[in-house]
Amino acid sequence: MRLRARLVAEGVYAGSHRSARRGAGVEFGGHRAYTPGDDLRWLDRRSLLLHDRLLVRQFETETDRALRLVVDATASMGYRGAGAPGAKLAWSALVAAALARLAVGNGDPVGLTYIGGGSEPRGVAVAGGREVFERVLGSLEAVTAGGDARADVAVLERGLGAIARSARRGSIVVVLSDLLDLPEGAEERVAALASRGRILVVVQVLDPDEVDLPFGGTVRLRALEGGVVVETDAETARASYLGRLASLTASWEGVLTTRGARFVRAVTRDDPVQIVREIVRAAR
Amino acid sequence: MTFVYALALAVGLLTLAPYLAHHLRRRRAEERAFAPAHLVRPAPPRARSRSKLEDRALFATRAVAVVGLALLGASPLVRCSRLSLSRSSGASVAMAIVLDDSMSMRVRLGRSTRFDRARAGAFELLSSTREGDAVAVVLAGSPPRVALAATADLGAARAVVESVTQSDRGTDLDGALATARALLAEMPQVDKRIVVLSDLADGHPDAPPLGKDSDLPVWIPLPELREATTDCGILQADRAGDHLRVRVACGGKVAAASESAKEAGSRSREVAVLSGEKVLAHAPIALGGGSEDVALSLSEDDGKATEFAPLFARLTPGDAIEADDVAPVVAEASPGSVAVIADAADESTVTGGGPIVEQALRALALEVTLRPLPAVPDRVEDLSPLLGAIIDDPPGFTPEQRRALSAFVEGGGSLLLALGPRAASAPLGASLEPILPHVVTWEPTASQGVDPKTAAPSLVESAMSGVDLDAKKRAVLAPEDRGTFEALLAWSDGAPFVARRRLGRGEAWIVTLPLGADASDLPLRPLFLALLDAWTAEARTRVAPRRTPAGVAWTFPDARAVLVTGPRGDVPVLREGGPPRAVPGILGTYRITVDDKKEQRFVAPLEAEMNLTPRAVAETAVWQGAGDSRPAVDMSPWLAFSLLGLMLLELGLRLRARSRESIA
Repeated sequence: MRLRARLVAEGVYAGSHRSARRGAGVEFGGHRAYTPGDDLRWLDRRSLLLHDRLLVRQFETETDRALRLVVDATASMGYRGAGAPGAKLAWSALVAAALARLAVGNGDPVGLTYIGGGSEPRGVAVAGGREVFERVLGSLEAVTAGGDARADVAVLERGLGAIARSARRGSIVVVLSDLLDLPEGAEERVAALASRGRILVVVQVLDPDEVDLPFGGTVRLRALEGGVVVETDAETARASYLGRLASLTASWEGVLTTRGARFVRAVTRDDPVQIVREIVRAAR
Repeated sequence: MTFVYALALAVGLLTLAPYLAHHLRRRRAEERAFAPAHLVRPAPPRARSRSKLEDRALFATRAVAVVGLALLGASPLVRCSRLSLSRSSGASVAMAIVLDDSMSMRVRLGRSTRFDRARAGAFELLSSTREGDAVAVVLAGSPPRVALAATADLGAARAVVESVTQSDRGTDLDGALATARALLAEMPQVDKRIVVLSDLADGHPDAPPLGKDSDLPVWIPLPELREATTDCGILQADRAGDHLRVRVACGGKVAAASESAKEAGSRSREVAVLSGEKVLAHAPIALGGGSEDVALSLSEDDGKATEFAPLFARLTPGDAIEADDVAPVVAEASPGSVAVIADAADESTVTGGGPIVEQALRALALEVTLRPLPAVPDRVEDLSPLLGAIIDDPPGFTPEQRRALSAFVEGGGSLLLALGPRAASAPLGASLEPILPHVVTWEPTASQGVDPKTAAPSLVESAMSGVDLDAKKRAVLAPEDRGTFEALLAWSDGAPFVARRRLGRGEAWIVTLPLGADASDLPLRPLFLALLDAWTAEARTRVAPRRTPAGVAWTFPDARAVLVTGPRGDVPVLREGGPPRAVPGILGTYRITVDDKKEQRFVAPLEAEMNLTPRAVAETAVWQGAGDSRPAVDMSPWLAFSLLGLMLLELGLRLRARSRESIA
């Protein structure tokens, strides 16, 4: 994965290179009363002359452009169809590693959390430096698909809660998920990450089977989460399924777009380089 | 267990093979993981249901084919119970089928009756006949009847058997066998046989075994018809005012009946009298062999309300034969009533009892009910229930009496009129019309007795006793009346002594001496009893009793138009070779119209038909002893053709399935 992530990242570099870090530029952040010990360079002399009050000018730097990766590791992400190069989770891990490589290359801190996952996967706290990339890679290589987001509604809270609380303005949050088995209200919950100046990119990762429903004849389909079993005639049910899938995707896209987030759809047979490039472009 | 049995069982197990194969093929669709399964709408598995339909057709075809194969393999070992007529030498056969249509054949046998099974057996026998065979059909219900004389027309035989219906007659097996023998005697076939399809319950279980010492082979198949059972029924139900008398009989041996009684004890068997569905009276009965009279009474209100309504007696709960568990209640029914109108006061001084004619009728035990009347009734309604009336030396008839007598005699009644001194001195306004339109005189006679040579057959044996009657006087008819009478016995001088005259459908007899002992010695002579006996017998032929057993003919002498309507519709009236007659075969109430005069008669069951104990069968009459009659049927050709058809059907189904798959 390390090698592939590097190759993917290099492919992205070859196309469009833009760092999330903007250097030392500052933006005015407001006034506050002067307290002894404050740097006198930021004392607002104009306010002192106009209002006879000692105020200190405050500035917000853009140096916190941390990349926070959220990978859906619930059971449904372990699906791999006959025509897919790998499971959705593996493909998502590759894209996440490539994004981490890019971020580390730009000097941005990177963090990693999971939604679900088998045997309590350990995420990576936000940190900078090359060693964090290794930790991200190690975590992604160790994670296995597991957990039922439909049965355990708290799994979403565990994955996103920390980001919602700690991610600062300007943070980039990339969520990699199939969005298929998340609990009711997940759209609003995920879209809420786009508030407070954060950049949210949601990548829907689907297997080619899930896009095409290529089965024939009578099939008995068992959902990986929720325990749903459906017996149907594939030819008869295909059009209906594709319509409902499109409706689900549109629902997510609508909610996310409304909140200022970006939505990217990916299929595991797609070239990861292109997808990473789309994610980077969406995160600008 | 022999090898054959083991093989048959193994082949039988093969019938499960298509079933198992069908289930294996119908296994559930393979389950596969699919994350967004909840987005897939369950759809009717079209392809699968189609294949299921095809599977079923194939499954059914293969299952039937395997069963057919098993039967084909087993057919040499199977003996079918179907009756068939086999012939040892291959020659044509003359066969008389004795089909029992008596009431006892109504006993239920599964979903059908004994009669249905017997008739089905007759069809089976007819289906095994071939060109050159002759068939006769004799019905064993009493009296035995030839339904079909021996004929080679097998189609006619089938039609006759098809047309035979169940009746409630008695059984006359011996008569039916004799008739069958007579029919076969004229046939040229060497191989002759009589087949009896009967339950053999003719009421004489102790009679000699049937078929014993028969000159023709008698085959009595269908042993299932002869399973012993018991039956109870209502023989008659009579009503006199508010009182009813129901006679119940139970057939079979006492022991068997007792078992039945024990069995029925918990069911509280009883006799009920109903008007419509309303129970007016009921009484429990104790079952046993023989008959038993049950007396019931109606309440005063019910009696008045149902005075002219039809009532029914019902035996509950039902038993082997349901038809005899219900009977109509007959008002004032009796074997026959004879009214006697004589001067009791005058004659009792001589005899110390009733009139001589009454005592003579009782002594004869003619099974008639005597109804002494003080005078001739004025209304025909009082006379119509009577078999006849004996009037001894009446002093003429009033106009009302004449009208009533005329209607009674012309409607089929009989009258015996004894002429004496009172008849000859009728008061003004009274006459002996319509019997004698002219005056009768009472004159001294020189002749002392009758001339036996002039006696009619019914009186000839006793005529000699009337040679000396010691009569001083006698009645003399007017010459005009004398010519209208037919003399049955004449005085020695040729004057009529006993004569008769037909009036309408009835008949009037006259005797030119009174029936008392004062005028002559006639009452002391056997001729007197013979006279009463002959007159009663003649009266019976003209007025049938209101209740008769099934199968007894009703004759209507001198009737022009007769219509008999029974429970199953009109009963055919036969006219060839005698007076019109009808033979009712079904229990129930019959409405009879004779020359615009309407009456009701009733057909009751015979007690013997309730005795369902079968008669013994000669050993030579069961099929094993009959030798050449084997009930084996070869079904192999039909099975083989069926298998061929099934194979073609399966090929068709397979081709159809293949074409569907290619289209899909």
